[in-house]
Amino acid sequence: MPDMNIENVKAQMRKGVLEFCILSILSRGDAYASDIIKKLKESRLIVVEGTLYPLLSRQKNAGLLSYRWEESPQGPPRKYYALTDKGNEFLKELNASWTDLVDAVKSIYNK
Amino acid sequence: MKKTLTINLGGQVFNIDEDAYIRLNEYLEKIKGYFSGEKEIDDIMNDIELRIAELLSDRINPGKQVIIIRDIEEIIKIMGEPHDFGDFENEEKKKTYYRSSTRRIYRDPDNRVLGGVCGGLGAYMGVDPIILRIIFIIAFFGFGIGLLIYLILWIIIPEAKTTAQKIEMRGEPVNVSNIGNFVKEEFDNIKSSFKGKKKNK
Repeated sequence: MPDMNIENVKAQMRKGVLEFCILSILSRGDAYASDIIKKLKESRLIVVEGTLYPLLSRQKNAGLLSYRWEESPQGPPRKYYALTDKGNEFLKELNASWTDLVDAVKSIYNK
Repeated sequence: MKKTLTINLGGQVFNIDEDAYIRLNEYLEKIKGYFSGEKEIDDIMNDIELRIAELLSDRINPGKQVIIIRDIEEIIKIMGEPHDFGDFENEEKKKTYYRSSTRRIYRDPDNRVLGGVCGGLGAYMGVDPIILRIIFIIAFFGFGIGLLIYLILWIIIPEAKTTAQKIEMRGEPVNVSNIGNFVKEEFDNIKSSFKGKKKNK
């Protein structure tokens, strides 16, 4: 049986939510990694930035995201991530199940 | 006075103090070790290097042209240590990998007289390689087959090339902290051999 310590459970919950939030951020427009990080940090979803990169790469390889290089006003070109059609579908499904989950937890927790 | 190096990180050029360079390289190697075996490793490293380059360029201005070790420490705090990434898929995979990791025989390129056979066997058996070398020399002169055995071993035992293989050779589990320690040890070795050379002059 996997160990059930609180940090472990919390981190697993956060990871699912994190993937959901990355897709949500990108659904509002393409962004490069630092934009995404800024938003996630503002909402205190990530503590260290390193958390984001493996998630981005996996979502990209799963066909949910794509990226392109764009010139930037200062510094080197930036890697912009965008949601693919598949990613859009995925996000819609996540959205629906998220609402269900929140309702379910509320109804049980508040009794 | 300090020596600086020029590095290319994510397509940008930086001047960096030697100690800061060592710290940064150690950190990147640690991350690489953490994600080793992942098919996304190149993408992940690329993204991380790009981000570090961006954070570094914020710390450069006409009045401060060199990256110092404090900059690197700050950036590592922002990026986080690999074990804080909370990367579960990777962690689960690593656990199964640890269990299967056993001690293996390699030739030790860092501890050798000829092919590193005795160095590697010594690491495998936990015996001082010098004792093995003496046995081989006696077998060579005494029975005449020492050389033949040595040559055969040289051919069939692979050399430990990667950090992971060197750790396996010592029979330690291949994990992030071990790779980190090992990389640091190697740097210290290089540093001290540099110093040794300077003194010899």
